[in-house]
This record gives sequence, structure tokens and C-alpha cells, in this order.
Amino acid sequence: MAETFREFVVHRSPRLSRTAYLLTGDHQLAEDLLQAALARTYRHWRRISDGDPEAYVRRVMYHQQISWWRRRRITERLQSQPPERAATDTAEATVLRLSLATALRRLTPRQRTVLVLRFYEDLTEAQVAQVLGCSVGTVKRHGHDALRRLREIAPELVDVPVERSAR
Amino acid sequence: MTARLREALQAVADDAPAYPVYERALATARRSRHRHRLAATAAAVALVALTTMTLPLVRTPALEPAAGSPAALPDRVALPPIGTLHVTDRPLLGPAAVLFSGVAGRLKGWNDANRVGVVGADSDRYRIMPMGYEAPAGEVVLLSPDGRYVARPAGSHERPRVDIVDLATGRTRQLNGGPAASTSIEPAAWSPDGRQLVVRYIAPTDPPRAGHRAVLGVVTLDGERWTRLAEGGLQAIFGSPVAFTAAGDRIAFQVGRSVTVSKPDGTALSSLLLPADSWLAGKGAWSADGRWLTVTTRRADNTDWSLRRLDPATGRDAGPLDLPTVSGTTAIRLLGWGPDGSALVVAYEPGPVAQDRFDQPLEMDQRTAYGNVGGVQVLALMPGATGPRTVLTAPAEVLAVDVADEVIRSGRTRQASPPGGVGGRFWFWTTLTVVVWAGIAVYRCRENLALWLDDRRVRRARATAERSG
Repeated sequence: MAETFREFVVHRSPRLSRTAYLLTGDHQLAEDLLQAALARTYRHWRRISDGDPEAYVRRVMYHQQISWWRRRRITERLQSQPPERAATDTAEATVLRLSLATALRRLTPRQRTVLVLRFYEDLTEAQVAQVLGCSVGTVKRHGHDALRRLREIAPELVDVPVERSAR
Repeated sequence: MTARLREALQAVADDAPAYPVYERALATARRSRHRHRLAATAAAVALVALTTMTLPLVRTPALEPAAGSPAALPDRVALPPIGTLHVTDRPLLGPAAVLFSGVAGRLKGWNDANRVGVVGADSDRYRIMPMGYEAPAGEVVLLSPDGRYVARPAGSHERPRVDIVDLATGRTRQLNGGPAASTSIEPAAWSPDGRQLVVRYIAPTDPPRAGHRAVLGVVTLDGERWTRLAEGGLQAIFGSPVAFTAAGDRIAFQVGRSVTVSKPDGTALSSLLLPADSWLAGKGAWSADGRWLTVTTRRADNTDWSLRRLDPATGRDAGPLDLPTVSGTTAIRLLGWGPDGSALVVAYEPGPVAQDRFDQPLEMDQRTAYGNVGGVQVLALMPGATGPRTVLTAPAEVLAVDVADEVIRSGRTRQASPPGGVGGRFWFWTTLTVVVWAGIAVYRCRENLALWLDDRRVRRARATAERSG
């Protein structure tokens, strides 16, 4: 028996919330994104409840996020030079999270989406292309651009950190 | 190389709590569904409206029964449908056969702005002419002899004018003011050739406008030449009615209880004193040969009306015409003469709440006033006939009517088939409203529309991938 919409939301919200946060990099925006995606899912629940509703919600979130970005991009500015990086401290994991959060905000939504799908959802490039409705070449280009930019902004995320001096 | 990125993504994602959005998602979905329903309804209405408008254009055009046929008098007029086109709207009407006015709902409009109904000469195509005030057809709104023009009072108290609307081109020509700074002006009669108009206007007696006088004059349609026919104090009957001979060489008009005959250049030829309960009969008062003037006479103590002849030079009463009597009306007004010698008259039926008694002496302007009239019909008084024959009927509360002289002289009548349903303006405004609302709905739902388009694109891409895979 198919689960109800409430059950679906209760069970899947934690995972979907995490994806929404990674897509937006902001709790408020993530909440709005998840809300909009679930609202859309609810309208088509009868049709999609027998299939894979979670995949549907994710797809809506990816597209919604890109759609919102199109309307907000005038106010969003990418800086030519990466900002000063946080100084290394002992709480390396915390620094890493902060660096990633900062870096993700400096990617375009498509780049960020490709990163999330590839390295968080563990989808192949072909699956990402299918989900986003674009070509594999486009996915590769966005993924390549995203990683290059991450290397500029936060090289510690994609490269092995340089060993600290023993002194 | 991306192992740390994966770890970092996982770590960042773990920071995100489960957002409590269930209730809000439901509310958003319901609002969105409501908007969709509204948009769907608007689209459906737009589709229906467009279909309704388009179908008549694409279907095989039915030949209009009366199209191309000569001008004729319809045997009835109906109230113009809601949304009837105005006389200046396209498609233009062309020459008209009948004007009518009154107090019926569809002649009053939403804001009590009176309208005059106009009926095409060769078929039952209806138009309306908004007036903004009470304007009886045949008295102050006049159809030209050929039915192509309508003369009507217009303008403001400071700048009164007469508008001449060309029903064939939709253009309006304005006759401003008069030779003096008048405070009101209205048309009184068309000359037979349609090139001149008799007008009544009120002009100040001196520059400070301490007093006013009524003037009756003839003016060419270009407004270049004004000729004064009569001048006098303000009174109920002044230059009403006015009648041209068929040749246009003499004009008869009533002022008070007397009728003056003059030339169009203003030369007075004679002046006749009317007996009690007699009035110059109307715009058709001259006999076809111009030898006699016709007056309407009410028999004492009842409402029987007959037509009598007077010698226009001496005023000698030549006796009643051999035409049927009209009974039970507040008055009759002579429109003209048919080819068989019959007189076409407008018969005014008493209104249900009329205060005046019509079998007693009462001035003509009161007998045809809207408050005293309940309806009108056009009667043909055939020589030797025992009673009048009704040639045009009108719905209740149509209180005045005018007929083009050419239609009267031709004697042609036709079976009327007035339009039903709603008029062209209704469809225009309905379509415009629907399109605007549909546009607003699409704009408001643009986000969902974009998502739906994205969704469709993804589905197609997936289907293509599945086919090729």
C-alpha cells in the first residue's frame, strides 16, 4: 500500500532537508525550497505516489533552485578573487564545513547542483544529465567548472592539504 | 581527489535539521491549486469567447435577406441588444430608415444616459447613439431625408453645438454656436436636399446676457451661412414643427398659435393663425405638390385626431382630408406622404401614469412629452379607408420615432427581423476582459508554468534517452 503524503514527508524530510541545504547554502532558502517542492509534489501526489516520489521532489528542487537563481542572480555577485580563507585552527572539521558552505555560495546553482548530485547523491554523469534534462557534456562542463572554482576558493576541499611544518 | 569533498558535503549536510514544512507545503499547494483553477476557468472562457467570435467569421456567410435591397420601412422596431455597436463603430451602418428613442431600459443605459436607436435602411442592423440626456427622435434628433445623416444637439451649455453624424463614414461634423454666443442650439428640420438645416437656438439679447431670445435659423452644413427665419421671446412652442416643401423653396413653422411661411432666405410670405386645438401637422405638413399645408386637429372633448388642409397664403381652411381618424392618442405627428396619397403619422399612446388629460386642451409639447406617452406606432392613413393601418410598431417605452423622408416617399415596407442576443460591443469588451485576466493569471502563475515546462522537457528528454538507450 502506497504511503500517504504525510508519511512521506515525515520519513523523507531529513534527507530532503539536507539536500535542500546543500543546494542553497542557506537554511531559510532551503526551507523555502523544500516547501515549494513538497507543495508541487502534493498537487501531483496521486500520480507519483506509486513511483519514486522522493526522486520527483529532488528533481523539483534542482529545477526550482535554478529557476529562483535566475530571478535572483542580479543581486548575487561572484568575486573575481577568492576571499581570504579562514585561518587554520585545531577544529579542522568545523573549518572544513565553513569553507564548503562559503565555497558553495560562490558557485552558480547549476554548478552547485551538479556537485551535490555527483558527490553527495553519488549519481553518475549520465544520471545527473537525465535528472537535469541536459546533455552529459553540459554536466561535465558544470562539474569541471565547479571543481576548478572550488580549487580557487577552497583548495583544501579538493586537494590533499599541505602537510604542516613540524616546527 | 574528491574524497574530501564528499566528506565535506556529508558533514555540511549533517548540519541541516529536518525543516518542518509539511503544513506550509499543504497551504502552498492549495493556494497554487486555486490559482490553477482560476487560470483554467479564464482560459476556458477565453476559448469560448474566441470560438464564438471566430465561428461567424469562418463559416459560410449567409446572404442577408435584405442585403442590397432598397430602403424600406420595417414593420416593427425592437430594443437594441445589450452591447449594440455605436453609430460610429465599424462596420458602419450606412443610411438608416428609422430613429427611435424612449425610456426603455436598453435605451437608458447603465447611468441613465439616453440613447437613440438607429435601424438600417435596407436590413435590420441596429446601432445606438448615446445622447446623455432626453432627446426625442424626430423632435431634436433628426434623420436626414436620405437617411445618411443624423443631426443632434451636442456640446455644453457654454459651447453648444449641433453634431451631424455621417452614418456611412462615421465622421461627425460640428456646427458651433450660431452667429451669436448662444446658450443652446438644437436641430429643427432638414432641407429636402440635405444641404441645409433649420436650427433653434437661444441667444443673449445683449452682451452681459441680461436677457435671452429664441431664434430660428437656417444654416448650411458647412456652417458658413446662417439665415434668420424668426426671433422672439422664450416660449413653449417656438419653431416646432418645421416643414419644408418638397422643392425646398418654402418653409412653414409654428410659433405659439401661428404658422409662418417663409423662403429659406428668411423672406416671410405669410402668417396664419391656427384655430384652437390645431397644430402644424409635422415635418410632412406640406402636401406633395406644395399647394396646401396640413394641420392636425383634435375634436373637442375627445382624443380623435384628423388632418385638415389650410391655404398657406391665406390660412383658409380647406376642410378635413378624406383620411381615417386616429383615436385614443395623446397626439399625432405627420411624417410625410406615401406614393398612394396615404399620410404616415406617428401616433402617441397615453402613458399609464400620465397626469394630464388628453381630451382636454393641452399644448403639443406636453402631449408628446415622455412623461405623458407610453408608446408610439406609425400609422398609414389611406384615403377612403375606414381606419388607420399600422405600418410600424415599437415596444413599450419607445416614445419617439423618426423615419427618413425617402423611405416614406417610396412607400416600401419590409418584414422586420430585429437582432437578438448581444451586440458587437459586448463581445469586444468580454474578449478584452478575458484576455487581460488570462494574461494576469499566466503572469501570476509563471513560476508554476516554468516548472511545468521544465517538467515536460525532462520527461521528453527521458523518453528520448529511453528510446535511444
